[in-house]
Amino acid sequence: MSDIIIGIDLGTTNSEVAVVENGQVIVIADGEKKMLPSFVGVDDNGQIIIGETARNQYLVYPERTIKSIKRLMGQDTQIELAGQDYTPQEISAIILKRLKGLAENYLGQSVSKAVITVPAYFSDAQRQATREAGEIAGLEVVRMINEPTAAALAYDARQAESRHVLVYDLGGGTFDVSVVNIESGVVEVLSSHGDNQLGGDDFDQQIVLYLLEHIQDTYQVDVRQHSKAMARITRAAEQAKLLLSEAPYAQIEEEYLLEHEGVAIHLSHELSRMAYEEMIDDYINATLDAVHIALKGAMFTTSDIDEIILVGGSTRTPCIRERLLNEFGFEPHSEVDADLCVTMGAAIQAAMIAGQEVNTVLVDVTPYTYGTSAIGSLDGAPYPFMFVPIIHKNTVLPNRKSDAFATSYDGQDAVEITVYQGEDPDALNNVKIGEFRVEGLLDVASGNVITLTLGLDLNGILQVSAQEKDTGMEKSITIKNALSQFEGSSLQSAQQRINSLLGHMDPRVIEHESLAEKELPVAAEITTARELITKAEGLFEQVSREDQEDMVDLIETISNCIAAKDIQGLDAPIVELQDIIYYLES
Amino acid sequence: MQTPYEILGVETDARDDEIKQAYLQQVKNNPPDRNQQQFQIIHGAYSSIKDHKSRVSYDLFTLPTVNFNAVLERALKTEQTGTVNAEFLSKLLALDIDDNSLLKAFYSPDNT
Repeated sequence: MSDIIIGIDLGTTNSEVAVVENGQVIVIADGEKKMLPSFVGVDDNGQIIIGETARNQYLVYPERTIKSIKRLMGQDTQIELAGQDYTPQEISAIILKRLKGLAENYLGQSVSKAVITVPAYFSDAQRQATREAGEIAGLEVVRMINEPTAAALAYDARQAESRHVLVYDLGGGTFDVSVVNIESGVVEVLSSHGDNQLGGDDFDQQIVLYLLEHIQDTYQVDVRQHSKAMARITRAAEQAKLLLSEAPYAQIEEEYLLEHEGVAIHLSHELSRMAYEEMIDDYINATLDAVHIALKGAMFTTSDIDEIILVGGSTRTPCIRERLLNEFGFEPHSEVDADLCVTMGAAIQAAMIAGQEVNTVLVDVTPYTYGTSAIGSLDGAPYPFMFVPIIHKNTVLPNRKSDAFATSYDGQDAVEITVYQGEDPDALNNVKIGEFRVEGLLDVASGNVITLTLGLDLNGILQVSAQEKDTGMEKSITIKNALSQFEGSSLQSAQQRINSLLGHMDPRVIEHESLAEKELPVAAEITTARELITKAEGLFEQVSREDQEDMVDLIETISNCIAAKDIQGLDAPIVELQDIIYYLES
Repeated sequence: MQTPYEILGVETDARDDEIKQAYLQQVKNNPPDRNQQQFQIIHGAYSSIKDHKSRVSYDLFTLPTVNFNAVLERALKTEQTGTVNAEFLSKLLALDIDDNSLLKAFYSPDNT
């Protein structure tokens, strides 16, 4: 049992952790909640807070709360949090540490390995950043699997007949679509496509822009200057979006949003679903274009698809169901839990890697084409940066492909090898993901053959090597996020940087966790007590002085018991306080 | 060196769906997550014989036993009427490489 591997869905908006126990997938709850909001903040005492508390704090202290960090993964950027700079990896690592803690608490043993899901369309850099986040959190990321694939894994795959399933995965920040063949217990991804910067956050943003415009028109105030008001508008926009999934209209009310030249500004506005759907129409169109690219990648048409699985909270948007119904002629499947299926799939994959018996085996593909540039031609004219694809989009993982290149002039003693990711015949229009130089080549005429080999592992991470054919001299690199992120600095210094981060960040996070852990076993009683106190305090204004004094006394007794962790002592004062409240309310 | 048919454990005249089922079974028994190399071998075998087109190109380019001279000689010798001539040969050579009958002639010369 020591080698347990947990499955983690590290989402833009929410994150979850799951394990397989006795063949059953268990999503581990934090208290009552299975979803941990992907928010990280610093509270009044300088402590790091994670999840629900951080999300609640976001409204009041947006400047020391971070949301949607996933959208920055793989970028060379720093985020300020309470005066300190953090990389996206570090912030993600804080969330991962919390999930790790939850799992350890549940399992009663330490956990050091995880399968983490990433959007299928996450680039090499984004995958590397995710792995680094895991490392910082003290988790060996034994595998990264693609989110839509994980969702398909969670789906019952035991049926023998072949079913072609389209997984439409629209999360908070990313969109993926995969075409999957499920047959005889094998989940075989046929093609994937997506957009790693399109998600529910963009929908919120459209509503925010709309509201900002509305306030600008009504009050001539630019709310953008006020971070708190912006946080409230963002939250209101998100709530309106959620409401519009159920109702045709949403009433947006934010009183005292801000003060402008001594005048209080209230936001009160009704947003219709129709107006909202118009705002997000371009995004929905983009997802449907991606659906068709994925279908084409699998050499399918819409009529080849037997079922559609919707994944991610944003797929609750009603027009998405409608549009898919129009395209495919049938309704998407609704038995799959759009929020939890990705974590569940991660846990299934984790169990399989750990050697447990599982019913489903996964075969995945790369959504990207990888290659290099060479002297060649573009549109019929000679061109020095012609893209030469080596591993093509939708190739099964793992994969290794080689191609031969030749030196271009006599006595050429070095070659520069640049690796790109993309589909464009002009290499410069693709994403450069790494480069290296092979020196000390033989002093021979042009045409000295260099074999370039690209290997893509199960995690979608690329290993590149070049070999001079005649001498066997070889040079290889693994494309690391660090290479693109910290130009000029080496891989090693990037790793050192991460290690030193590990050193200074660990104690702080552990300290917070151990505190949370101690409270967990008694959480139920204490939560009841705290709720009761809040309720009692809410009644203060309408009760007699006598009652109020009684209540204050009882609250004090209860608070003392909570502080002393005296659970038994809580019983009597709680019953008394409940009686008073009952009497007052009836 | 095992042939793709041997790797997947199917007959050389297996149908597409038989090959596919054999492949899926092999994948279930050898998940990529447990043994990447073995999976690559299985997937490579499947890719090279999964449908008619891939089998034709596999037969053409990877079958080590093809000996054009021997095949031609046999063709000449077994011709009953004795009318083998340049015309027949050029006809033989001009056949589309996608043509099954020619492939069969190369693949199992004894049957011709």
